[in-house]
Amino acid sequence: MLDKPASALRIRERLIESERLMDETGCYDGITELKLRNQDPLKFETLHTKLRAYCVSAREMARRISASPGVREVGEMVVAIYTPEGDAIALSNGIMVHVHTMSRFIKWMIRNGYEENPQIRDGDVFANNDAFIGTVQVPDVMDVMPIFHSGRLVGWAGAVCHELEAGGITPGGDVALAQERFTEGLFVCAEKVGENDELRRDYVIRCERNLRMPIYWVLDEKAKVASCIDMRESVKALIDEIGLDYWMQVSKEFIEEGRRAQLARTRQLTVPGIYRGHTFYGHVTAGKPGYQPLGDPDWLYNIPIEMEITADGKIVMDFEGTQPWGYHSMNCTPAGMDGGMFVTLTQHMNFEGLVNDGAWMATELKLPTGTWTNPDNEMVATATSWALLLPAYGVFQRLLSRSFIARGFVEEAFVGQVNSPMIEMGGQSQYGTPFGMAHFECAAAGSGALAIKDGLDTAYVGWNPESDMGNIEIWEQNMPMLYIGRSIVPNSGGAGKYRGGCSFLSTWLVSKTDHLRLVTSEHSSRVFDNGGLCGGYPAPTCQKHRAVRDSNIFDLAENRAPLAHHTGTNPYRSELEVRLEGEHVTLEGPYITAPHKTGDVFTHSYNGGGGYGDVLERDPVKTAWDVENGFLTWEAAEGIFGIVLDEDEEGFPVANLEATKRHRAGMRAKRLARAKPVSEWMAKERERVTAADFAPEVKKMYASAIRLSPRFTKDFSTFWDVDAKSTFGVE
Amino acid sequence: MTSYSKEVIADLVAGTLPWPQTRRVMSAYKDDDRFFKYVSVLQDRVGWSDPILLPVGDHLFICQSGEERVTKCECGHSFGDYRRNWKLKAAIIVRDNEELLREIYPNSDLPDPEWMEIREFICPKCGTLHEVEAAAPGYPIVHDFEPDLEGFYRDWLGKPLEPSSKGG
Ligand SMILES: [Zn+2]
Repeated sequence: MLDKPASALRIRERLIESERLMDETGCYDGITELKLRNQDPLKFETLHTKLRAYCVSAREMARRISASPGVREVGEMVVAIYTPEGDAIALSNGIMVHVHTMSRFIKWMIRNGYEENPQIRDGDVFANNDAFIGTVQVPDVMDVMPIFHSGRLVGWAGAVCHELEAGGITPGGDVALAQERFTEGLFVCAEKVGENDELRRDYVIRCERNLRMPIYWVLDEKAKVASCIDMRESVKALIDEIGLDYWMQVSKEFIEEGRRAQLARTRQLTVPGIYRGHTFYGHVTAGKPGYQPLGDPDWLYNIPIEMEITADGKIVMDFEGTQPWGYHSMNCTPAGMDGGMFVTLTQHMNFEGLVNDGAWMATELKLPTGTWTNPDNEMVATATSWALLLPAYGVFQRLLSRSFIARGFVEEAFVGQVNSPMIEMGGQSQYGTPFGMAHFECAAAGSGALAIKDGLDTAYVGWNPESDMGNIEIWEQNMPMLYIGRSIVPNSGGAGKYRGGCSFLSTWLVSKTDHLRLVTSEHSSRVFDNGGLCGGYPAPTCQKHRAVRDSNIFDLAENRAPLAHHTGTNPYRSELEVRLEGEHVTLEGPYITAPHKTGDVFTHSYNGGGGYGDVLERDPVKTAWDVENGFLTWEAAEGIFGIVLDEDEEGFPVANLEATKRHRAGMRAKRLARAKPVSEWMAKERERVTAADFAPEVKKMYASAIRLSPRFTKDFSTFWDVDAKSTFGVE
Repeated sequence: MTSYSKEVIADLVAGTLPWPQTRRVMSAYKDDDRFFKYVSVLQDRVGWSDPILLPVGDHLFICQSGEERVTKCECGHSFGDYRRNWKLKAAIIVRDNEELLREIYPNSDLPDPEWMEIREFICPKCGTLHEVEAAAPGYPIVHDFEPDLEGFYRDWLGKPLEPSSKGG
């Protein structure tokens, strides 16, 4: 039943007042005292648990409505309940990155006079996928519905699904080829798309006519609306039970409690001070079809982060010194940066208590204007912003982890997330129909190592703590490719006392189509876009793509000859080259080529996580198990970790502890003999710096950072004792 | 309040606490007396008696060494004043060609040494690999961590450090 507002909402004034109160008191909405919590802590906790249960059950219900394997199989969805001002009170599991981006979307509508026009009424559905209003990237489509009670706006219910197809210049959702906003696909900019609890027909028609695979988007919209209605009705029933005044007060106290809990947890788990780290991302597109000559085709980005933990427990992250935005799809908006921060915090620090927007309020992001983190141009593309977000928040995880190690909470230290490159596709399906899809098995990369054990193999991505690669059979129903292999990539975790989690590689046979476009994104070229910690190495993350066109695979199958099921472990000659005849392709950087057809073979590898600690301390017994199970090779065990393995009677590897000890002593001696004092290396390196004797992309990177950042300029100049500006020809 | 014995903390730090028990530690409320137990576990591990003030790596500690506060390797080697970047006093191996990178990455595609190198920061006495940087050539060495040591002891632990005549 619809509930008409008695008078104008004036929520805009309320939002301004709420922000003023926060500025004035330092507490959310001026809540300096948790009155209801103090009155009855049990009731307080129980109510929050109820709200969380509403969210979790609404999301599970909605996943059954969706047609998209991304939402059904992999769980690329999150829902949350908000205050009237748009601050998250409670959320479900799933892609929690979006809890705060939806908050920005609601506030954007309030600030932009939506009360007057198009009006905010009971039963309305508002949708958005514009990152400058509040989301991460074009496929992250969010729907929110107001919650009214007794004629008053008392909150919002919101839901986000990551769409597998967004109708951009290349198929899929991450639209790797987008170089400006105008090629990213279908935009819905804080639009009223439904009324009276129903999606508008004209909106659905627009979706059906502008997407390659509208069934995903449209049914996801219905799933989101259903989950919003479900949460709304639950909240209304709860208000009937506890009273409206109690609800309005308790929802704010939940957030203030979340804020205080975050500050307290920082003081409990970390050490105050300044933490620094960096990572890089390389992009190589020169000569590739489709790229417009708008900027440099090949570039290198540095992503430095300085994190301060203040005496009162606030976490401040500063991206000064990073690169400008560019004509590529990997820029990010402040909303996306917020989202990355939020999803990382919920995994590392908010593992108990009230998880909501309060945690976000206890942090601060410094995003220099004009950089990829905060573009001063709203026409830029952000369709693949995860490509830079994931490496950046991997750095954040390592910085936080150093603080956990310093404080003694070694079980929480974690080398962090990595990019997990996505493959997207479109063209003609195996059913003879047009199709488009992002393949979401990438939601199961290897995780970074922990400070007390190896990372998770094929089971973690930063953006969704509930990682899942999905079932092969389900993916095969949705694309004209059949799996001929899905296997662990040996040595794909970064080496260390504890190794990073391994990644996997899929090998497909293109089947029943004459036109399959394959595009990949989030694959850093020429550089590692991740790191290790405390002596651990980065995971290998600059993989190339390998494919065979017009292969003889059907002949091989007919003759019952062996096929290739993976690329193997010889970097100079892959299993594809060994087993298959045809046109062999090895491609660096994003995979953008002419369409594939039946009989072609394509492989794609995901990424492993970084390592922790000195390789020479790795456990020989665990290593033997790793070799037996294909996570490490025999060669790596001996060459990298110094672990000598013997074979038992059945040919299985067993660690030879005595020989390992001797071998490691030799390796340590060799290490010391090879190493030189840093001062000596710096003196020599300074000559190279003075001469700016670097590859053009490296020089360009330095010049750009120097132009944008006085601090980078000063740090560079001081470290090398040079004038950074004149060295790189910056005016 | 949650609390664990020193033996449990020692096993946890060594990575030898059985996984089901480790899981319980991860899922439980955190133990507020962790820090000093942790430091005493580490103090037992190192072969020297300078009091550890703050661990900053797997085998790196800020400790009180006479009147100075220094960063020390577990083997006892000192990298000097804790406020300076210890890496500048370390030994280094730089992997900036295919052969050296291939030693660590035997079967994967390699970074382009023109764009990226691996820097290993090593204790010149015992050869422990303390930290690895993956950086573009020419990138300044990172000063990973500058703790607010005195503020931490005074405001967060409620146990102010004795004034040190040198080294802050
Ligand atoms: Zn040492």
